[in-house]
Amino acid sequence: MLVLTRRSGESIVIGNDVVVTVLEVRGDQVRIGIDAPRSVQVHREEIFKQVVAENEAAVRSAAGDREALARKLRQLRPPPRPPEG
Amino acid sequence: MSDGGEVVLEEITEDNILTFVDGIPGFADCHRFILVDMVEDSAFQFLQGIDDPDVSMIVTVPWIFFPEYAPELSEVEAQELSIESPEDAIVFCPVTLDADNDKLYVNLIAPFVVNVHSRQGRQLVLVDSEFPVRAEIDMSGVE
Repeated sequence: MLVLTRRSGESIVIGNDVVVTVLEVRGDQVRIGIDAPRSVQVHREEIFKQVVAENEAAVRSAAGDREALARKLRQLRPPPRPPEG
Repeated sequence: MSDGGEVVLEEITEDNILTFVDGIPGFADCHRFILVDMVEDSAFQFLQGIDDPDVSMIVTVPWIFFPEYAPELSEVEAQELSIESPEDAIVFCPVTLDADNDKLYVNLIAPFVVNVHSRQGRQLVLVDSEFPVRAEIDMSGVE
């Protein structure tokens, strides 16, 4: 891992078009500003990891016999609600 | 019509392919998906990966079970997907069946949003929301 020391107000540039700026350091918290093109998604790591884990769990839970799964969902199925509108 | 079994090639046409340019979290290399109906159960569908057939999950339209759900698309995300009004978007969420307790959970923090016209989509991560990654589907009222 590349390790750089920056002060408040200083930035680093990643690639040609991502700029990460340290906005404020207070105690053990750091506020960071990120300038990146729209195509680059920026996430808090712990939330992104949660979504990855849940996607993997969703895929695992849907693996196997689809007909059996469909039957199971039918058994678990809550009462239908009237459509909106 | 699907029989709930394996996806057959005939079901995949240019018209029903959903494209996720970045893949989805955990499956970044799977860019193309189709929605497959589940027989006799309109509440759920399979989101089936084409690039990686092992990537398949149950999805649902969240408002069936969570009528109050109101995810917000950021301006950047809306622009990127060319979504100008709610009518331009299809929204569905991942469903996890927990084998230990037979409960169904909907992931409300990470809905799939697809432009209905271009069929380009993205799985959002609603970082500033309070939505849970596992919202249990209420089974009360089931006989």
